[in-house]
This record gives sequence, C-alpha cells and structure tokens, in this order.
Amino acid sequence: MDAFGKSQPVRRREDLRLLTGAGRYTDDTAPEGALYGYFLRAPVAHGRITGIDTEEAAASPGVRLILTARDLAEAGVTEGLFTVMVKNRDGSPGIAPRRPILAEDKVRFVGEPVALIVAETLDQAKDAAELVMLDIEDLPVHVEIAGAGDGGRDGDGAVESPVHVEAPDNLCVDFALGDEAATEAAFAEAAHVVTLEVPDHKIIANALEGRAFSAAWVDGRLHVTMSSQGVWTHKSQIAKVLGLPEDAVHVVTEDVGGGFGMKTMVYPEYFAIAQAARHLGGAVRWAAERGEGMLSDNMGRDLVSTASLAFDADLRITGYRVDTRFNLGAYASQFGPLMQTQLFSRVLTGVYDIPAAHLRSRAYFTNTCQVDAYRGAGRPEAIYVLERLMDRAARELGIAPDALRRRNFIPPEAFPYKTVGGETYDVGAFARVLDHGAAAADWDGFEARRAASEARGRLRGRGLCYYIEAILGAPDEGVRVAFEPDGGAAIYVGTQSNGQGHETVFAQFLSDQTGIPVERIRVVQGDSDLIASGGGTGGSRSVTVQTNVTLKAVAELVGAFRAFLAEEAGVTAEEVVFDDTHFRVAGTNATHSMLDVAEMARKAGRDDLLSVAAHDKLAARSFPNGCHLVEVEVDPETGTVTLDRYTVVDDFGNLINPMLVEGQVHGGIAQGVGQVLMERVVYDETGQLLTASFMDYAMPRANDLPFFHFETQPVPSTSNPMGMKGCGEAGTVGAMAAVANAVQDALWGQGVRQADMPFTPHRVWEMLAEARIAAG
Amino acid sequence: MYNFDLVRPTSIDEAVAALGEEEAQPLGGGQTLIPTLKQRLAMPSKLVSLTAIAEMKGVCKTDDNALAIGGGTNHATVAQEAAADFPGLAHLAANIGDPAVRSRGTIGGSLANNDPSACYPAAALGTGATIKTNKREIAADDYFQGMFATALEEGEIITEVRLPIPEASNYQKFEQPASRFALVGVFVAKYADGVRVAVTGASNDGVFRWSEAEAALSSDFSAGAVDGLSTPDGSGMISDLHGSGDYRAHLVKVLTKRAVAAAS
Ligand SMILES: Cc1cc2nc3c(=O)[nH]c(=O)nc-3n(C[C@H](O)[C@H](O)[C@H](O)COP(=O)(O)OP(=O)(O)OC[C@H]3O[C@@H](n4cnc5c(N)ncnc54)[C@H](O)[C@@H]3O)c2cc1C
Repeated sequence: MDAFGKSQPVRRREDLRLLTGAGRYTDDTAPEGALYGYFLRAPVAHGRITGIDTEEAAASPGVRLILTARDLAEAGVTEGLFTVMVKNRDGSPGIAPRRPILAEDKVRFVGEPVALIVAETLDQAKDAAELVMLDIEDLPVHVEIAGAGDGGRDGDGAVESPVHVEAPDNLCVDFALGDEAATEAAFAEAAHVVTLEVPDHKIIANALEGRAFSAAWVDGRLHVTMSSQGVWTHKSQIAKVLGLPEDAVHVVTEDVGGGFGMKTMVYPEYFAIAQAARHLGGAVRWAAERGEGMLSDNMGRDLVSTASLAFDADLRITGYRVDTRFNLGAYASQFGPLMQTQLFSRVLTGVYDIPAAHLRSRAYFTNTCQVDAYRGAGRPEAIYVLERLMDRAARELGIAPDALRRRNFIPPEAFPYKTVGGETYDVGAFARVLDHGAAAADWDGFEARRAASEARGRLRGRGLCYYIEAILGAPDEGVRVAFEPDGGAAIYVGTQSNGQGHETVFAQFLSDQTGIPVERIRVVQGDSDLIASGGGTGGSRSVTVQTNVTLKAVAELVGAFRAFLAEEAGVTAEEVVFDDTHFRVAGTNATHSMLDVAEMARKAGRDDLLSVAAHDKLAARSFPNGCHLVEVEVDPETGTVTLDRYTVVDDFGNLINPMLVEGQVHGGIAQGVGQVLMERVVYDETGQLLTASFMDYAMPRANDLPFFHFETQPVPSTSNPMGMKGCGEAGTVGAMAAVANAVQDALWGQGVRQADMPFTPHRVWEMLAEARIAAG
Repeated sequence: MYNFDLVRPTSIDEAVAALGEEEAQPLGGGQTLIPTLKQRLAMPSKLVSLTAIAEMKGVCKTDDNALAIGGGTNHATVAQEAAADFPGLAHLAANIGDPAVRSRGTIGGSLANNDPSACYPAAALGTGATIKTNKREIAADDYFQGMFATALEEGEIITEVRLPIPEASNYQKFEQPASRFALVGVFVAKYADGVRVAVTGASNDGVFRWSEAEAALSSDFSAGAVDGLSTPDGSGMISDLHGSGDYRAHLVKVLTKRAVAAAS
C-alpha cells in the first residue's frame, strides 16, 4: 500500500457518543463541588469607572469571593492579555494597548468583564452581582471605525476620548504589503480600470457549545478543563499570568462543540477563574450563557475594502490594489491585527496571474467586541473582495464572468507559482476544475431557468466564485503511538477535534498504516500532562499535519519492530518485512501483527519498544481551491432571496475520508451563506448590542439551504507526502462571493449597482426600491 | 431566575383562588414566561400552572359554527384538531415556532401575552373571536389594546377562545429572519356577511384590522381588489433592524393579496 492509505467514507466513531448525550463537554465535566463563577460585565460601551463597591455583594448568601482589577493587582496578577501585533508600513510597530483581565480605569465595550463573583450556586452569584455598585462616567462612544461615520479622523489628529490614549485617532496599525510603485505603474498604463467598494460585515461565531472553563487548585497544581482549539497556548499563558511554573498547570480539553477560530484565543475570563481557584484553594467553574457569548466571544470579519483591478487591452490583469479598513474592537485580540493584514495577504491575488499588487490595511479600535479569527481568518475576506471585483469587472468589460477568470488563471505549466503576496502555490488546475463545475451546474442552461423564474415573477441570478485557500496554523506537529497493557494501541495527537471527526480519521489512518484493528486504537487528545505540545485545530491544518507525522512515527515503529524480530529470530533486519499489516520473517512461516510484536516486546522486557514519538514539519503549505456556482431566486415583492442551486467542485488533493470532507464543505457553505443572507451584528449608536440573542441574530438553518452538488478534482499537493490539502475552511471561503455575486446578478437587471450583504429581505427590498427611484 | 413557588391546580376555580394571592401569575406553556424569568426580567412569587386543568383543554365545534378552543390547549393540538373545520387556523398554529414550542405553548398564553409579533392575535381579531375568561366574555375587537396590552384584569385567566368558522381563510406569515415570529402576518377570513383582515407584527399599536382592505374584499373577494388599495401608512409601523415601517406597510399589502389568493 502507498503512503496515502485507503480513501474510505468511514462513518464517524464518535457520533454515537455525541448524539446520545454521552459527549464530555467542558461544563459536563466540571469538578465535583466546584463553585460557580459569574461575571459582572460592562453595561455601557465606553466610560470611566469611578467606583466599584462590592461590600454588600460580598456579604450576600453563598458568596465566597469577589475579584476586581484591584484584587488581581493585590494578588500580583498584573499581566494583561497578549496580542500578535503587526508592523506599520514604515516599519514601526502597531499600537498594542494594555488589555486587562478585569476592567481597570475604563470600560471599553458592552460585555467587558468588570468583576468576578464566586458563589456556591450560580443563582447566588447572580444575586450578588446585582448588589455590586458600579459607577461609570460615560464617555463618547466609537461604534464605527474612524473615518467611517462617527466624526473620527484618519491618522491626522485626535478624536474625542479615543478608545485608548495610546491611539489618539483610534488607529492601531497602518499595514502595507506588495510593490506600490509597480502597482501604480500598472494602473497608469492600464487599458481598463475597475473599482468596487466591498463591505464585509461583523458576525458572531455562535458555536453550539459556548465557551466554558473550570479550574481546580489541588496540591499546588492548577487543573483546568476548558473548551478550546488546543490546550498548550492556554497552559503557558495561564502559567505566565499567574506566575506559576509551567508544570504546575494542567489543561484538558475533551469534546468541543465547535470553535470556528473563536475558541483559539485566550480570554480574560480564564485568568480570573484560574486565579479564583488558586485563591480559594478549590474548584471554580464558568460557562458562558448564550447572551454572554454573543457579547464577549471574539467576532468575525468587519472590514470595508476599496479594490481596483487594472487590465490590459486583452483583459489580462496587470495590477491589483486593495485599501482595507478593519475593526479590531475595543482591544487588539490575540490574533486580531493579523486578520486583514498578513492573513488577508496570503491569498491576496487568488488564482490569477497578477504581476503587481498592493495591499494597504488599517486597523482601528472601536467600543465594540473584539474581532479575531473566524472560519478562514483573513482568506475568506481577501477572496470575497477579489471575487466580487472580478464579477464586477466582467460586467463592466462586457465579458462572461467565467471567461474573464479563465483568461487570467495561473496556467498549469506556471507551477510552482510565486505570488506577489509572497506565497508559492505548489500545484493547481483551475481551468479543469471550473470545467467540471460548469458542467455539473449546467451553467449554460441558466438562461432558460432565468426565463422560467421570470415567468413566475421571480428574479434569477447566478454567481461564481473561484477561491483559493492557504493552509495555516503551525506547520509542525507531534505524535506518540503507545501499546497499552490491555493489548491495544493509543495514538496521542497534538491537534484538537472541535467536532470534525478527528477520532475517526486518526484511528483509521493509523489502522491503515499498521494493520492494527481500528477498534483497538484509542485516540488521545487535549491533555497537556499526556501530550507535551501540539498545534491544535485551526487554519484547516489538522489532518495534513497529523497524518504526516504519524507516517514518520509508523516508519520508526516498523524499523524498531523489524530489528527486534530479527534479533529474536537470529536473522538480519533486512530479512524481516512489513506489508502494512504483518511482519514476515524470511525463511519461516511466521507472521506477526503489530499488536503481536508489541506483546512479544512486552514479554521480553523491551518496554522501550512500546512507545514511539515523532515530530515533523511540513515542507510547505498546501492550497485547496475550487469553484462554487450558485443560482438564487429573488422575490421582488418581498426581497426574499432563495438559494436554488448550489454546485461545488473542489481540489483538496487526496482525500482520507471523502464523507467527512463533504461534511466540512456542507458546514462551511452554511456558514458562508449565513453571513451573506442573514447573520449580522448590529450595535446601536451607544454601543449596545441589538443582536444579543437568537431572537435578533439570525443563524442559517437546514431549510435555508438547497441540496449541494459536491465533487472533487484532486491535484495532489507536492508539499506533503500524502498529497493532501485542508478542507475545513474552504466551503466558507467559496460560498460568500458566489452567493453574493448571484444576488447581484439577479438585481442587476433592476438597476441595482451596489449589492452588499447581508441580503436580508428588507435590505434587498430597499435596494430594489432605491434603484426604482433612481431610474425615475 | 429568582425563586418562586409553583402550584398546579386541577380546576379553574382553584386556579383563580391561587391567583388571588399577591404577586401570583398564571403559567401556560411557559414559552414566553420561562425565558423572561431566566433573564431575571420578572419576579413573580408564585406561578399558577394551568396545564393540569382538564376543562381548559381541547378543541370542539359549537352549534353556532364556531371553533371553541380551551385556553390551555397547545398549538400542536390546534394544528391537528382544527385541520378539518378551520384549515386557515390549523395552518397558523402549525407554523408557530418549532415542535417543542408547539407542544408547550398555549393559545391562552399567546393571547394573554399579546406579543406584537405573535400569530394568534391575528386569528382572534381576524375572526372576531370571543375571549372567554373566568369572569366574562370579551369580544376580540375590545380585547386587544396595544403591544402586550389586553383587556385582561389582574388574576383573570383565559379559559376558552371561540372563533367563528369562516367560509374561507388564510394566514400569511412573513418570518422575521432570526426569531421566525411574524415580521408581518395577515389573517384574512371571509364570512357570509363580510371579510375581516387582521394584521400582526406591523403596527406600533399591536394587532389591527385593515379596514380599507376589508371593505374592498367584502365587495370583491379577489387579490385584484387589494391591488387597487394604497399601501397602509408606514409611519405608525414598527421600525427595527429587521425592517422599516415602510417595508412592513408594503408587506401588509403583499401578504393580504397572497392570503386572499390562497384562502380556502
Ligand atoms: C422559540 C420560540 C418561537 C416562537 N415562535 C412563535 C411564532 O412564530 N408565533 C407566535 O405567535 N408565537 C411564537 N412563540 C410564542 C409561543 O407561541 C408561546 O406559546 C406564547 O408566547 C405564550 O404561550 P404560553 O402558553 O407558552 O404562555 P406563558 O409563557 O406560560 O405565559 C405568557 C403570559 O401569558 C400569561 N398566561 C398564560 N396562560 C394564560 C391564560 N390562560 N390566561 C391568562 N394569562 C395567561 C402568563 O402569565 C404570561 O404573562 C414562540 C416561542 C418560542 C420560545
């Protein structure tokens, strides 16, 4: 068998457990007798704290502890949260103001934690929270990014009461990438220039399982259980902020009900709960309620870009320019500044052969919740801008949208292809993938369907997006395979399932490579005592990095077992062969399975053979890509948009489990469609969140989606031995522009020239009404 | 939520007696009240559950061709039992919330609450229903008094709702994308002596009758008759992040037409 193993639609082994209520989510596994933590949060968006009186609350029944910023300082917990800051275009660092665990002198967004109340029951903690006297002197609120409506100015002077004194105009960083002069030259010489403003609004991740965290102080060690995308950053941050040695902190993440990027980061609540547990010498639990999560989970997107393409007379792109302003929220979150800067730039020029490009991206502070990674983290944003603009360009230049794309695709013979953004794409066959997409979608049969819709009083539109993704996250990963006393095997992984089916895939892969029956393999993840390091889940990295290093571990294991068998049989190691399921010793009839050999080693006292660890780093990134082709119908009387046809053809390289891949694509599309058609965060002008419950924040549901046609056209990656590419974020990256372009297409004939998501019925109706008025 | 006592009487009389106490409140299916309590937005000291009162449950047809529905009857039961005699009402009930909401939520609770976006108020007003309480009978035209406001007095409970069965009816609900309550809902009912059109979700004053449409449809029960009407004034309509007053006003007309076309 080759390194890749078998590609099989194996059913998920974890589903029975997860679907029958036997999942072990964080709040299900809180330590027995744990006290309850409850956070008093900022009720206003911007204000100076003039007093916090906790005396009455502290005397309330059941209350064990109240922590404010002052208490943390008195306990020596003075570190703020960290951020990975990017540089300004002049090389100076961006502004990273202090982000306290609990609000100190000011509150900066509604929902910011101000005090932690710990009590015997949650209701007692809430009762006490009502007794805390919090005095706040209101300050002017900045809801919109500077220069976008609140009177703030842009880099040239102070605004009134900025979010942070360190950033007098609310500007955090002014980032640039690419060759500005070459790009300007391309525009100066262009035969055609097409420009479009592309807003990309703010949304909430809304994982099914909210954030949750419990901590227990036992014999000088802090044991944490939390819902995360990987335990190791949390472990080192908690140790650092609490001033504990790393080995005094133990972090566990078991089952996770969705993260989508949002659970990657360290949040202030975690330090407060951990400190409370240490202070009390006991256990404290906290789980965000839905509304609490909506106020305080890192949000996604929130940018406005102005983008231009320069074309020569043959409609070949000669230059691309993007000017983006994005919202960080009240503080620079862990990876917030990276989103629309470095991460955006990874796929800046998409699948096109673009000789010159320039990105300018400015990040602003506002009095709203933080924005950070959300499914795709910068890449969906970049592709959304480019693919909306490509569509507009096709219209303005009088060419079919697919034809314009084909004319500008990076051709197969150009790989490996170095983009002006600095990435090297290994392989790609974009035209071929699009051929399959167009055929499956019956792209050419559209006009007949449009006529049929029109006859029923409906507007039909079609949209295309050709996306490319760059697999991110740590390129290296570790693994350990251990033979257990019960005769089975365990695989210890550094990735972290958030519900994607890792247990199934990793067990299956190890089974394929070793012949160990899959039911004898236990997958162990998310325990910092058992696994020293790992990269967690994020950036569509997990399966590629984890199987890559597993191959390495298996090779070591096979080598060691061959040597052992050779020694036992008195032959040379070359005379022992392994055929993916059994070892055979030359000149004998003896065959031994992996588990047999492990048993022999155990009996022979060779415990050193019973566990093998490996660590490996991928040579380069891989680049999943593909096309989404969508048809929508718009009811012009109500503005309702109905997704009618949906076709996806992806190039994910080789697939390990096609069924799980398709599941990832379905979910990814639903998340993209959710943003395009209904999801959105709305703050009022005072910074109160209006969409703070599912009564006002719309999530996509099954009946909002049609059946998807899904197929893959694999072009194996050359950057990893299995020829894989990640698939976790791709659906979202492709869906956004495809659906938005389809809606724009449906509305174009009615005179709508600027169709921006979310396409809620009301907004679409207004776009149509405005176009009618404009037409007189 | 804050602590409260819970009682589950088995007769209307016992329930009324229990409600006589200070800060007691009736509990129907809890689909509105329980979320309110969870958010600590209400502090009743006693909840009087109406779910064990057999005489408040069930659907039956009366001699004068009305549907009598016990105030404690849940939406799922109405969806099923009104289907033969009053399909317009059954369809309305079948599209409230989700299966869990329909199995718990009651017609009495919905009418008592009179949420401006709720569905049943449109049916009650659109049929000229009679709201029966432990004390009296209230005509729907007198019962609804604005958003969340009704003619009910403290401690008064809805024991039954009588809805005259129309010759043809239909409810068109345009869903608010998030809550899936009615962004606008229009109930049209045709009787021998005229047509009634009731609108929910739209007005700042709660459910209302669109009298121009009623007049037009009473002489010509066709979608075309609605076409000729001017759109209701949007200035008194609810304006929020899901839709402006003008949009709601526009939908009132669109949905009325669709309801007439679909009426059966
Ligand atoms: C997810 C969800 C979706 C929903 N979608 C819709 C929808 O699409 N359309 C719609 O119309 N509704 C919808 N609802 C509301 C639902 O219809 C409830 O049935 C309704 O809100 C109240 O009925 P209840 O029996 O649950 O009343 P409760 O919640 O128990 O009580 C509501 C109020 O009425 C009082 N009360 C209850 N029963 C009586 C009575 N017999 N007499 C006097 N007072 C009484 C209570 O004291 C309380 O003040 C939805 C609810 C949820 C949770």
